[in-house]
Amino acid sequence: MTTGLLPTGFRDRLPPEADASARLVRAVLDTVASFGYERVQTPLAEFEASLTGALGTSSRDLLRFVDPVSGETMAIRSDITGQIGRIAATRMGHHPRPVRLSYGGPVVKLKATQLRPEREMMQVGAELIGLDSVAAATEVVTIALEALKAAGVKDLTLDLTLPDLIDTLLPGTDTAALKARLDAKDIAAVPADFQPLVAAAGPFAEAIARLRAFDARGVLTDRLDAIDAVVAGLPADVRVTLDPTERHGFEYQSWFGFSIFSAHTSGEIGRGGSYRIGGEPAVGFSAYIDPLIDAGLAQSERRRLFLPLGTLPQKAAALRAEGWVTVAALHDGDSAEAQICTHILSNGRPTPIA
Amino acid sequence: MQQPIIFAVPKGRILEEALPMLSRAGIVPEPAFTDGKSRALKFATNRADVSLIRVRAFDVATFVAHGAAQIGIVGSDVIDEFDYSELYAPVDLDIGHCRISVAEPAEMAASDDPRSWSHVRVATKYPNLTRKHFSARGVQAECVKLNGAMEIAPSLGLSSRIVDLVSSGKTLQENGLVEVEVIAEVSARLIVNRAAFKTNAAVGALVEAFRAAVDG
Repeated sequence: MTTGLLPTGFRDRLPPEADASARLVRAVLDTVASFGYERVQTPLAEFEASLTGALGTSSRDLLRFVDPVSGETMAIRSDITGQIGRIAATRMGHHPRPVRLSYGGPVVKLKATQLRPEREMMQVGAELIGLDSVAAATEVVTIALEALKAAGVKDLTLDLTLPDLIDTLLPGTDTAALKARLDAKDIAAVPADFQPLVAAAGPFAEAIARLRAFDARGVLTDRLDAIDAVVAGLPADVRVTLDPTERHGFEYQSWFGFSIFSAHTSGEIGRGGSYRIGGEPAVGFSAYIDPLIDAGLAQSERRRLFLPLGTLPQKAAALRAEGWVTVAALHDGDSAEAQICTHILSNGRPTPIA
Repeated sequence: MQQPIIFAVPKGRILEEALPMLSRAGIVPEPAFTDGKSRALKFATNRADVSLIRVRAFDVATFVAHGAAQIGIVGSDVIDEFDYSELYAPVDLDIGHCRISVAEPAEMAASDDPRSWSHVRVATKYPNLTRKHFSARGVQAECVKLNGAMEIAPSLGLSSRIVDLVSSGKTLQENGLVEVEVIAEVSARLIVNRAAFKTNAAVGALVEAFRAAVDG
Protein backbone atom coordinates (compact mmCIF):
# COMPACT_ATOMS: atom_id res chain seq x y z
CA MET A 1 0.00 0.00 0.00
CA THR A 2 2.58 2.55 -1.05
CA THR A 3 0.15 4.61 -3.14
CA GLY A 4 -1.71 5.88 -0.07
CA LEU A 5 -5.06 4.59 -1.32
CA LEU A 6 -7.75 5.10 1.33
CA PRO A 7 -10.95 3.07 1.78
CA THR A 8 -13.93 4.37 -0.23
CA GLY A 9 -15.48 7.43 1.35
CA PHE A 10 -12.46 8.44 3.46
CA ARG A 11 -10.10 11.29 2.65
CA ASP A 12 -7.13 13.32 3.80
CA ARG A 13 -7.58 17.05 4.14
CA LEU A 14 -4.47 19.00 3.20
CA PRO A 15 -3.69 22.68 3.70
CA PRO A 16 -5.61 24.94 3.40
CA GLU A 17 -8.74 22.73 3.60
CA ALA A 18 -7.90 21.30 7.01
CA ASP A 19 -7.61 24.86 8.28
CA ALA A 20 -10.97 25.75 6.73
CA SER A 21 -12.53 22.76 8.48
CA ALA A 22 -11.21 23.85 11.86
CA ARG A 23 -12.34 27.42 11.22
CA LEU A 24 -15.89 26.34 10.30
CA VAL A 25 -16.20 24.11 13.37
CA ARG A 26 -14.91 26.96 15.51
CA ALA A 27 -17.33 29.51 14.02
CA VAL A 28 -20.33 27.25 14.67
CA LEU A 29 -19.29 26.24 18.19
CA ASP A 30 -18.33 29.79 19.24
CA THR A 31 -21.74 31.04 18.12
CA VAL A 32 -23.72 28.37 19.95
CA ALA A 33 -21.48 28.84 23.00
CA SER A 34 -22.49 32.50 23.07
CA PHE A 35 -26.11 31.30 23.49
CA GLY A 36 -25.12 29.20 26.51
CA TYR A 37 -24.56 25.83 24.83
CA GLU A 38 -21.54 24.28 26.51
CA ARG A 39 -19.28 21.89 24.69
CA VAL A 40 -19.00 18.22 25.55
CA GLN A 41 -16.75 15.58 24.00
CA THR A 42 -18.01 12.09 23.46
CA PRO A 43 -15.98 9.00 22.54
CA LEU A 44 -15.40 7.99 18.93
CA ALA A 45 -16.58 4.44 19.69
CA GLU A 46 -18.99 2.96 22.21
CA PHE A 47 -20.77 -0.29 22.92
CA GLU A 48 -23.13 -0.95 20.04
CA ALA A 49 -26.10 -1.26 22.39
CA SER A 50 -25.74 2.29 23.70
CA LEU A 51 -25.39 3.76 20.20
CA THR A 52 -28.45 1.96 18.84
CA GLY A 53 -30.63 2.27 21.95
CA ALA A 54 -31.08 6.01 22.20
CA LEU A 55 -32.62 7.17 18.91
CA GLY A 56 -33.47 4.01 17.05
CA THR A 57 -30.26 4.04 14.99
CA SER A 58 -30.07 0.74 13.14
CA SER A 59 -27.01 -1.37 13.95
CA ARG A 60 -26.84 -2.06 10.21
CA ASP A 61 -25.73 1.53 9.64
CA LEU A 62 -22.82 1.26 12.10
CA LEU A 63 -19.24 0.13 11.57
CA ARG A 64 -19.05 -2.62 14.21
CA PHE A 65 -16.37 -4.84 15.68
CA VAL A 66 -15.79 -6.96 18.75
CA ASP A 67 -14.02 -5.26 21.66
CA PRO A 68 -11.18 -7.66 22.55
CA VAL A 69 -11.23 -6.38 26.16
CA SER A 70 -14.90 -6.83 27.08
CA GLY A 71 -15.94 -9.27 24.37
CA GLU A 72 -18.90 -6.97 23.61
CA THR A 73 -19.69 -5.51 20.20
CA MET A 74 -18.44 -1.96 19.79
CA ALA A 75 -19.32 0.52 17.08
CA ILE A 76 -18.03 3.81 15.76
CA ARG A 77 -20.55 6.60 16.20
CA SER A 78 -22.62 7.56 13.15
CA ASP A 79 -24.37 10.47 14.91
CA ILE A 80 -23.31 12.36 18.03
CA THR A 81 -26.88 13.35 18.98
CA GLY A 82 -27.59 10.03 20.69
CA GLN A 83 -24.39 10.29 22.71
CA ILE A 84 -25.45 13.74 23.96
CA GLY A 85 -28.77 12.22 25.05
CA ARG A 86 -26.90 9.50 26.94
CA ILE A 87 -24.81 12.10 28.78
CA ALA A 88 -27.88 14.20 29.59
CA ALA A 89 -29.77 11.19 30.94
CA THR A 90 -26.92 9.74 33.00
CA ARG A 91 -24.00 11.90 34.10
CA MET A 92 -25.94 15.12 33.76
CA GLY A 93 -29.29 13.64 34.83
CA HIS A 94 -29.21 15.71 38.05
CA HIS A 95 -28.64 19.04 36.26
CA PRO A 96 -31.63 21.41 36.15
CA ARG A 97 -33.54 21.37 32.85
CA PRO A 98 -33.24 22.44 30.16
CA VAL A 99 -29.60 21.42 29.62
CA ARG A 100 -27.82 23.12 26.71
CA LEU A 101 -24.92 21.19 25.15
CA SER A 102 -22.84 21.46 21.98
CA TYR A 103 -20.41 19.17 20.20
CA GLY A 104 -18.25 18.73 17.13
CA GLY A 105 -16.38 15.74 15.78
CA PRO A 106 -16.11 13.13 13.07
CA VAL A 107 -18.76 10.46 12.54
CA VAL A 108 -18.60 7.36 10.34
CA LYS A 109 -21.32 5.81 8.22
CA LEU A 110 -21.07 2.16 7.26
CA LYS A 111 -22.19 2.71 3.69
CA ALA A 112 -22.05 5.59 1.28
CA THR A 113 -24.34 6.28 -1.67
CA GLN A 114 -23.54 7.61 -5.10
CA LEU A 115 -25.09 10.92 -4.10
CA ARG A 116 -23.28 11.15 -0.75
CA PRO A 117 -20.05 9.25 -1.32
CA GLU A 118 -18.28 10.29 1.88
CA ARG A 119 -18.33 7.88 4.81
CA GLU A 120 -16.54 10.06 7.34
CA MET A 121 -18.13 13.41 8.06
CA MET A 122 -17.55 16.28 10.47
CA GLN A 123 -20.69 16.80 12.54
CA VAL A 124 -21.20 19.99 14.55
CA GLY A 125 -24.29 20.79 16.55
CA ALA A 126 -26.16 21.72 19.68
CA GLU A 127 -28.93 20.09 21.71
CA LEU A 128 -31.43 21.53 24.19
CA ILE A 129 -32.60 18.74 26.47
CA GLY A 130 -35.64 18.82 28.73
CA LEU A 131 -37.96 21.00 26.67
CA ASP A 132 -39.50 20.94 23.17
CA SER A 133 -41.84 23.93 23.35
CA VAL A 134 -42.26 26.62 20.68
CA ALA A 135 -39.77 28.78 22.61
CA ALA A 136 -37.22 25.94 22.63
CA ALA A 137 -37.69 25.24 18.92
CA THR A 138 -37.39 28.93 18.06
CA GLU A 139 -34.14 29.19 20.04
CA VAL A 140 -32.58 26.15 18.36
CA VAL A 141 -33.54 27.25 14.83
CA THR A 142 -32.22 30.73 15.59
CA ILE A 143 -28.84 29.51 16.85
CA ALA A 144 -28.54 27.11 13.91
CA LEU A 145 -29.07 29.97 11.45
CA GLU A 146 -26.81 32.34 13.40
CA ALA A 147 -24.06 29.72 13.61
CA LEU A 148 -24.12 29.04 9.87
CA LYS A 149 -24.15 32.75 9.08
CA ALA A 150 -21.14 33.19 11.37
CA ALA A 151 -19.43 30.43 9.39
CA GLY A 152 -19.96 32.53 6.24
CA VAL A 153 -22.84 30.56 4.73
CA LYS A 154 -24.90 32.66 2.32
CA ASP A 155 -28.49 32.55 1.01
CA LEU A 156 -29.95 30.30 3.66
CA THR A 157 -33.21 28.44 3.05
CA LEU A 158 -34.97 26.95 6.05
CA ASP A 159 -37.27 24.06 5.15
CA LEU A 160 -39.70 23.12 7.92
CA THR A 161 -41.53 19.85 8.24
CA LEU A 162 -43.92 17.98 10.52
CA PRO A 163 -42.18 14.64 11.05
CA ASP A 164 -45.08 12.91 12.86
CA LEU A 165 -47.77 14.28 10.52
CA ILE A 166 -48.85 10.97 9.03
CA ASP A 167 -48.87 9.22 12.41
CA THR A 168 -51.12 12.01 13.73
CA LEU A 169 -53.50 11.69 10.77
CA LEU A 170 -53.55 7.90 10.82
CA PRO A 171 -52.86 6.82 14.41
CA GLY A 172 -52.27 3.13 14.99
CA THR A 173 -51.82 2.09 11.36
CA ASP A 174 -48.79 0.88 9.46
CA THR A 175 -47.76 3.95 7.48
CA ALA A 176 -44.20 3.06 6.41
CA ALA A 177 -45.03 2.61 2.71
CA LEU A 178 -47.16 5.76 2.56
CA LYS A 179 -44.43 7.81 4.25
CA ALA A 180 -41.81 6.56 1.80
CA ARG A 181 -43.99 7.52 -1.17
CA LEU A 182 -44.80 10.92 0.26
CA ASP A 183 -41.11 11.51 0.96
CA ALA A 184 -40.27 10.72 -2.66
CA LYS A 185 -43.23 12.91 -3.74
CA ASP A 186 -44.06 10.00 -6.02
CA ILE A 187 -47.44 11.45 -6.94
CA ALA A 188 -48.65 8.47 -8.96
CA ALA A 189 -48.15 6.14 -5.96
CA VAL A 190 -49.75 8.42 -3.35
CA PRO A 191 -53.46 7.82 -2.60
CA ALA A 192 -55.68 10.70 -3.79
CA ASP A 193 -56.55 11.67 -0.18
CA PHE A 194 -52.93 12.52 0.51
CA GLN A 195 -51.98 14.15 -2.79
CA PRO A 196 -52.74 17.64 -1.43
CA LEU A 197 -49.86 17.10 1.01
CA VAL A 198 -47.42 16.81 -1.90
CA ALA A 199 -48.88 19.90 -3.57
CA ALA A 200 -48.72 21.80 -0.28
CA ALA A 201 -44.92 21.91 -0.23
CA GLY A 202 -43.49 25.32 -1.02
CA PRO A 203 -42.91 28.84 0.34
CA PHE A 204 -44.10 28.99 3.94
CA ALA A 205 -47.08 31.34 3.75
CA GLU A 206 -48.77 29.52 0.84
CA ALA A 207 -47.81 26.08 2.13
CA ILE A 208 -49.29 26.55 5.57
CA ALA A 209 -52.48 28.00 4.07
CA ARG A 210 -52.84 24.92 1.86
CA LEU A 211 -52.14 22.67 4.82
CA ARG A 212 -54.83 24.41 6.90
CA ALA A 213 -57.26 23.89 4.01
CA PHE A 214 -56.27 20.20 3.84
CA ASP A 215 -56.82 19.83 7.59
CA ALA A 216 -60.61 20.15 7.46
CA ARG A 217 -61.01 18.01 10.60
CA GLY A 218 -58.78 20.32 12.64
CA VAL A 219 -56.48 17.48 13.78
CA LEU A 220 -53.39 19.51 12.96
CA THR A 221 -54.49 22.93 14.23
CA ASP A 222 -52.23 22.85 17.33
CA ARG A 223 -49.21 21.78 15.33
CA LEU A 224 -49.73 24.34 12.58
CA ASP A 225 -50.22 27.12 15.16
CA ALA A 226 -46.96 26.06 16.82
CA ILE A 227 -45.05 26.13 13.51
CA ASP A 228 -46.55 29.53 12.73
CA ALA A 229 -45.31 30.78 16.10
CA VAL A 230 -41.79 29.45 15.47
CA VAL A 231 -41.60 31.16 12.07
CA ALA A 232 -42.88 34.44 13.54
CA GLY A 233 -39.85 34.46 15.84
CA LEU A 234 -37.22 33.99 13.11
CA PRO A 235 -34.97 36.55 11.40
CA ALA A 236 -36.51 38.01 8.22
CA ASP A 237 -33.49 37.50 5.95
CA VAL A 238 -33.96 33.74 5.67
CA ARG A 239 -36.17 32.15 3.02
CA VAL A 240 -38.61 29.80 4.79
CA THR A 241 -40.38 26.90 3.08
CA LEU A 242 -42.64 24.19 4.45
CA ASP A 243 -42.70 20.62 3.24
CA PRO A 244 -45.20 18.67 5.34
CA THR A 245 -44.07 15.23 4.19
CA GLU A 246 -40.27 15.60 4.20
CA ARG A 247 -38.72 12.48 5.80
CA HIS A 248 -35.04 12.69 4.83
CA GLY A 249 -33.12 12.20 8.05
CA PHE A 250 -36.20 12.67 10.25
CA GLU A 251 -36.47 9.12 11.53
CA TYR A 252 -36.83 10.04 15.19
CA GLN A 253 -38.17 13.62 15.28
CA SER A 254 -41.62 14.42 16.72
CA TRP A 255 -43.74 17.52 16.03
CA PHE A 256 -41.15 19.75 14.45
CA GLY A 257 -38.23 19.31 12.07
CA PHE A 258 -36.13 21.53 9.84
CA SER A 259 -33.45 21.30 7.15
CA ILE A 260 -31.14 24.10 6.13
CA PHE A 261 -30.03 24.62 2.52
CA SER A 262 -27.65 27.18 1.08
CA ALA A 263 -26.42 28.52 -2.23
CA HIS A 264 -23.04 26.82 -1.79
CA THR A 265 -24.00 23.23 -2.26
CA SER A 266 -26.87 21.10 -3.45
CA GLY A 267 -28.27 19.07 -0.58
CA GLU A 268 -28.82 20.22 2.98
CA ILE A 269 -26.00 21.43 5.19
CA GLY A 270 -27.82 21.00 8.47
CA ARG A 271 -30.97 19.65 10.01
CA GLY A 272 -32.68 19.41 13.35
CA GLY A 273 -35.94 19.22 15.21
CA SER A 274 -37.73 18.04 18.30
CA TYR A 275 -37.44 14.48 19.60
CA ARG A 276 -37.65 12.39 22.75
CA ILE A 277 -34.60 10.85 24.32
CA GLY A 278 -34.64 8.70 27.45
CA GLY A 279 -38.23 9.79 28.10
CA GLU A 280 -37.32 13.48 27.90
CA PRO A 281 -38.32 16.00 25.23
CA ALA A 282 -35.46 17.70 23.40
CA VAL A 283 -34.70 19.97 20.42
CA GLY A 284 -31.40 20.11 18.56
CA PHE A 285 -29.60 20.65 15.29
CA SER A 286 -26.58 19.25 13.50
CA ALA A 287 -24.59 20.63 10.59
CA TYR A 288 -22.34 18.59 8.34
CA ILE A 289 -19.66 20.98 7.20
CA ASP A 290 -17.69 18.96 4.63
CA PRO A 291 -19.71 20.15 1.60
CA LEU A 292 -19.03 23.74 2.74
CA ILE A 293 -15.28 23.11 2.77
CA ASP A 294 -15.52 21.60 -0.70
CA ALA A 295 -17.42 24.73 -1.80
CA GLY A 296 -14.41 26.78 -0.74
CA LEU A 297 -15.85 28.39 2.37
CA ALA A 298 -13.63 29.69 5.20
CA GLN A 299 -10.48 29.65 3.10
CA SER A 300 -8.50 32.65 4.16
CA GLU A 301 -5.77 34.27 2.14
CA ARG A 302 -2.48 32.54 2.85
CA ARG A 303 -0.05 35.27 3.95
CA ARG A 304 3.19 33.46 4.71
CA LEU A 305 6.33 35.50 5.39
CA PHE A 306 9.69 33.88 4.65
CA LEU A 307 12.41 34.71 7.20
CA PRO A 308 15.92 34.32 5.70
CA LEU A 309 18.67 32.68 7.78
CA GLY A 310 19.92 34.91 10.52
CA THR A 311 16.64 36.74 11.22
CA LEU A 312 16.60 37.63 14.92
CA PRO A 313 14.08 35.70 17.04
CA GLN A 314 12.83 38.97 18.54
CA LYS A 315 12.17 40.39 15.09
CA ALA A 316 10.26 37.21 14.13
CA ALA A 317 8.17 37.36 17.31
CA ALA A 318 7.31 41.00 16.63
CA LEU A 319 6.15 40.14 13.10
CA ARG A 320 3.97 37.30 14.38
CA ALA A 321 2.48 39.70 16.90
CA GLU A 322 1.55 41.90 13.92
CA GLY A 323 -0.38 38.96 12.49
CA TRP A 324 2.16 37.49 10.07
CA VAL A 325 2.61 33.78 9.62
CA THR A 326 6.40 33.41 9.72
CA VAL A 327 8.26 30.57 8.04
CA ALA A 328 11.91 30.45 9.06
CA ALA A 329 14.65 29.25 6.74
CA LEU A 330 16.45 26.36 8.44
CA HIS A 331 19.25 25.77 5.92
CA ASP A 332 21.08 27.51 3.09
CA GLY A 333 19.20 25.90 0.23
CA ASP A 334 15.77 26.95 1.47
CA SER A 335 13.78 29.57 -0.42
CA ALA A 336 10.54 31.50 -0.12
CA GLU A 337 9.23 29.69 -3.21
CA ALA A 338 9.90 26.24 -1.76
CA GLN A 339 8.02 27.20 1.41
CA ILE A 340 5.07 28.59 -0.61
CA CYS A 341 5.47 32.03 0.92
CA THR A 342 3.70 35.13 -0.31
CA HIS A 343 6.17 37.58 1.26
CA ILE A 344 9.87 37.68 2.12
CA LEU A 345 11.62 39.71 4.82
CA SER A 346 14.08 42.02 3.13
CA ASN A 347 15.72 45.08 4.69
CA GLY A 348 13.71 44.35 7.81
CA ARG A 349 10.36 44.71 5.99
CA PRO A 350 7.89 42.16 4.59
CA THR A 351 8.03 42.48 0.80
CA PRO A 352 5.52 40.80 -1.52
CA ILE A 353 6.96 38.17 -3.84
CA ALA A 354 6.10 39.03 -7.41
CA MET B 1 -29.97 35.37 -6.56
CA GLN B 2 -31.76 33.22 -9.13
CA GLN B 3 -29.82 30.27 -10.53
CA PRO B 4 -30.41 29.29 -14.18
CA ILE B 5 -32.51 26.15 -14.55
CA ILE B 6 -31.23 23.15 -16.49
CA PHE B 7 -34.08 20.97 -17.77
CA ALA B 8 -33.05 17.41 -18.73
CA VAL B 9 -35.10 15.55 -21.32
CA PRO B 10 -34.52 11.98 -22.50
CA LYS B 11 -33.55 10.95 -26.01
CA GLY B 12 -35.89 8.49 -27.66
CA ARG B 13 -39.25 7.11 -26.69
CA ILE B 14 -40.69 9.86 -24.52
CA LEU B 15 -39.26 12.95 -26.24
CA GLU B 16 -41.89 13.30 -28.97
CA GLU B 17 -44.77 13.25 -26.52
CA ALA B 18 -42.90 15.46 -24.07
CA LEU B 19 -42.46 18.43 -26.43
CA PRO B 20 -46.16 19.45 -26.56
CA MET B 21 -46.22 19.08 -22.78
CA LEU B 22 -43.22 21.39 -22.48
CA SER B 23 -44.81 24.03 -24.68
CA ARG B 24 -48.05 23.88 -22.69
CA ALA B 25 -45.93 24.53 -19.59
CA GLY B 26 -44.44 27.55 -21.36
CA ILE B 27 -41.11 26.17 -22.55
CA VAL B 28 -40.30 26.20 -26.27
CA PRO B 29 -36.81 25.03 -27.28
CA GLU B 30 -34.75 26.73 -29.99
CA PRO B 31 -35.15 25.23 -33.50
CA ALA B 32 -31.82 23.34 -33.29
CA PHE B 33 -33.36 21.12 -30.62
CA THR B 34 -35.69 19.39 -33.06
CA ASP B 35 -33.12 19.41 -35.87
CA GLY B 36 -32.00 15.79 -36.19
CA LYS B 37 -28.62 16.84 -37.61
CA SER B 38 -27.66 19.05 -34.69
CA ARG B 39 -24.88 17.58 -32.53
CA ALA B 40 -25.40 20.08 -29.72
CA LEU B 41 -26.25 18.73 -26.27
CA LYS B 42 -27.47 21.92 -24.63
CA PHE B 43 -30.16 24.17 -26.07
CA ALA B 44 -31.65 27.56 -25.28
CA THR B 45 -35.40 28.05 -24.88
CA ASN B 46 -37.84 30.95 -25.11
CA ARG B 47 -37.09 31.52 -21.41
CA ALA B 48 -33.74 33.12 -20.65
CA ASP B 49 -33.45 31.27 -17.34
CA VAL B 50 -34.19 27.78 -18.71
CA SER B 51 -31.88 25.62 -20.87
CA LEU B 52 -32.59 22.11 -22.12
CA ILE B 53 -30.13 19.23 -22.17
CA ARG B 54 -30.88 16.06 -24.12
CA VAL B 55 -29.33 12.96 -22.56
CA ARG B 56 -30.05 9.23 -22.21
CA ALA B 57 -33.09 8.43 -20.07
CA PHE B 58 -31.01 6.84 -17.30
CA ASP B 59 -28.76 9.90 -17.23
CA VAL B 60 -31.73 12.26 -16.83
CA ALA B 61 -32.33 10.76 -13.40
CA THR B 62 -28.64 10.93 -12.50
CA PHE B 63 -28.20 14.56 -13.61
CA VAL B 64 -31.27 15.64 -11.64
CA ALA B 65 -30.48 13.58 -8.53
CA HIS B 66 -27.02 15.15 -8.31
CA GLY B 67 -28.42 18.63 -8.87
CA ALA B 68 -26.49 19.08 -12.14
CA ALA B 69 -29.90 19.57 -13.72
CA GLN B 70 -32.74 20.89 -11.57
CA ILE B 71 -35.70 19.39 -13.35
CA GLY B 72 -36.36 16.70 -15.95
CA ILE B 73 -38.72 14.28 -17.62
CA VAL B 74 -38.17 10.54 -17.37
CA GLY B 75 -40.08 7.27 -17.26
CA SER B 76 -41.05 5.83 -13.88
CA ASP B 77 -39.03 2.72 -14.83
CA VAL B 78 -35.83 4.76 -14.54
CA ILE B 79 -36.92 6.39 -11.26
CA ASP B 80 -37.66 2.97 -9.75
CA GLU B 81 -34.38 1.51 -11.00
CA PHE B 82 -32.22 4.14 -9.27
CA ASP B 83 -34.43 4.89 -6.27
CA TYR B 84 -32.41 8.12 -5.74
CA SER B 85 -33.15 9.78 -2.41
CA GLU B 86 -32.75 13.29 -3.85
CA LEU B 87 -35.34 12.89 -6.59
CA TYR B 88 -38.96 14.00 -6.40
CA ALA B 89 -41.57 12.88 -8.94
CA PRO B 90 -44.36 15.35 -8.17
CA VAL B 91 -46.25 15.19 -11.49
CA ASP B 92 -47.42 12.15 -13.47
CA LEU B 93 -47.34 13.50 -17.04
CA ASP B 94 -49.63 10.73 -18.31
CA ILE B 95 -47.51 10.19 -21.43
CA GLY B 96 -45.08 7.47 -22.53
CA HIS B 97 -47.24 4.69 -21.19
CA CYS B 98 -45.92 1.12 -21.23
CA ARG B 99 -45.12 -1.57 -18.67
CA ILE B 100 -42.06 -3.30 -17.35
CA SER B 101 -42.45 -7.06 -17.56
CA VAL B 102 -40.80 -10.44 -17.28
CA ALA B 103 -40.71 -12.34 -20.57
CA GLU B 104 -39.47 -15.78 -21.58
CA PRO B 105 -39.39 -17.99 -24.69
CA ALA B 106 -42.84 -19.15 -25.76
CA GLU B 107 -41.99 -22.84 -25.56
CA MET B 108 -40.67 -22.42 -22.02
CA ALA B 109 -43.75 -20.44 -20.98
CA ALA B 110 -45.99 -23.28 -22.12
CA SER B 111 -44.95 -25.43 -19.19
CA ASP B 112 -43.70 -22.78 -16.76
CA ASP B 113 -45.44 -21.73 -13.56
CA PRO B 114 -44.02 -18.43 -12.19
CA ARG B 115 -45.28 -19.34 -8.71
CA SER B 116 -42.77 -22.16 -8.39
CA TRP B 117 -39.64 -20.12 -9.22
CA SER B 118 -36.85 -20.06 -6.61
CA HIS B 119 -34.01 -18.77 -8.75
CA VAL B 120 -34.07 -17.00 -12.11
CA ARG B 121 -31.39 -15.76 -14.45
CA VAL B 122 -32.49 -12.54 -16.10
CA ALA B 123 -31.00 -10.29 -18.76
CA THR B 124 -32.07 -6.70 -18.17
CA LYS B 125 -31.33 -3.00 -18.27
CA TYR B 126 -32.91 -2.79 -14.82
CA PRO B 127 -30.89 -4.98 -12.40
CA ASN B 128 -31.95 -3.16 -9.20
CA LEU B 129 -35.63 -3.04 -10.03
CA THR B 130 -35.51 -6.70 -11.12
CA ARG B 131 -33.73 -7.87 -7.97
CA LYS B 132 -36.15 -5.90 -5.78
CA HIS B 133 -39.19 -7.30 -7.54
CA PHE B 134 -38.02 -10.89 -7.28
CA SER B 135 -36.72 -10.70 -3.71
CA ALA B 136 -40.10 -9.29 -2.60
CA ARG B 137 -41.69 -12.51 -3.83
CA GLY B 138 -38.95 -14.74 -2.43
CA VAL B 139 -37.11 -15.45 -5.67
CA GLN B 140 -33.38 -15.02 -6.03
CA ALA B 141 -32.60 -13.18 -9.26
CA GLU B 142 -29.24 -13.35 -10.94
CA CYS B 143 -29.10 -10.37 -13.28
CA VAL B 144 -27.05 -9.92 -16.42
CA LYS B 145 -26.88 -6.20 -17.12
CA LEU B 146 -27.36 -5.32 -20.79
CA ASN B 147 -27.80 -1.90 -22.35
CA GLY B 148 -30.12 -2.94 -25.15
CA ALA B 149 -31.36 -5.81 -27.35
CA MET B 150 -32.37 -7.88 -24.32
CA GLU B 151 -34.73 -9.83 -26.57
CA ILE B 152 -31.97 -11.90 -28.14
CA ALA B 153 -30.48 -13.01 -24.81
CA PRO B 154 -32.70 -16.08 -24.27
CA SER B 155 -32.19 -17.46 -27.79
CA LEU B 156 -28.39 -17.21 -27.38
CA GLY B 157 -28.39 -18.82 -23.94
CA LEU B 158 -27.25 -15.70 -22.07
CA SER B 159 -30.22 -15.96 -19.74
CA SER B 160 -33.50 -17.83 -19.68
CA ARG B 161 -35.65 -14.75 -19.09
CA ILE B 162 -35.59 -11.00 -19.63
CA VAL B 163 -37.05 -7.98 -17.85
CA ASP B 164 -37.77 -5.10 -20.21
CA LEU B 165 -40.24 -2.43 -21.25
CA VAL B 166 -43.22 -3.70 -23.21
CA SER B 167 -45.66 -1.47 -25.02
CA SER B 168 -47.28 -3.30 -27.96
CA GLY B 169 -45.51 -6.61 -27.37
CA LYS B 170 -44.45 -6.74 -31.01
CA THR B 171 -40.69 -6.91 -30.37
CA LEU B 172 -41.19 -9.77 -27.92
CA GLN B 173 -43.32 -11.65 -30.42
CA GLU B 174 -40.80 -11.23 -33.22
CA ASN B 175 -38.16 -12.79 -30.97
CA GLY B 176 -40.29 -15.72 -29.86
CA LEU B 177 -40.89 -14.38 -26.37
CA VAL B 178 -44.04 -14.02 -24.30
CA GLU B 179 -44.82 -11.77 -21.36
CA VAL B 180 -45.35 -13.84 -18.20
CA GLU B 181 -45.44 -11.28 -15.41
CA VAL B 182 -46.03 -7.52 -15.24
CA ILE B 183 -43.73 -5.84 -12.70
CA ALA B 184 -45.09 -2.31 -12.97
CA GLU B 185 -47.04 0.06 -15.18
CA VAL B 186 -44.80 2.83 -16.49
CA SER B 187 -45.53 6.44 -17.39
CA ALA B 188 -43.38 9.53 -17.78
CA ARG B 189 -42.95 11.76 -14.75
CA LEU B 190 -41.74 15.26 -14.12
CA ILE B 191 -38.79 14.91 -11.75
CA VAL B 192 -37.11 17.63 -9.70
CA ASN B 193 -34.01 17.80 -7.57
CA ARG B 194 -34.97 17.92 -3.90
CA ALA B 195 -32.73 20.83 -2.95
CA ALA B 196 -33.64 22.84 -6.07
CA PHE B 197 -37.33 22.30 -5.36
CA LYS B 198 -36.93 23.75 -1.89
CA THR B 199 -34.50 26.56 -2.59
CA ASN B 200 -35.44 27.81 -6.06
CA ALA B 201 -38.91 29.35 -6.34
CA ALA B 202 -38.76 29.19 -10.17
CA VAL B 203 -38.49 25.38 -9.98
CA GLY B 204 -41.58 25.26 -7.79
CA ALA B 205 -43.40 27.47 -10.32
CA LEU B 206 -42.43 25.12 -13.16
CA VAL B 207 -43.83 22.17 -11.22
CA GLU B 208 -47.10 24.08 -10.87
CA ALA B 209 -47.07 24.86 -14.61
CA PHE B 210 -46.71 21.18 -15.47
CA ARG B 211 -49.42 20.23 -13.00
CA ALA B 212 -51.71 22.67 -14.82
CA ALA B 213 -50.53 21.43 -18.25
CA VAL B 214 -51.50 17.83 -17.34
CA ASP B 215 -54.87 18.80 -15.86
CA GLY B 216 -55.76 21.23 -18.66
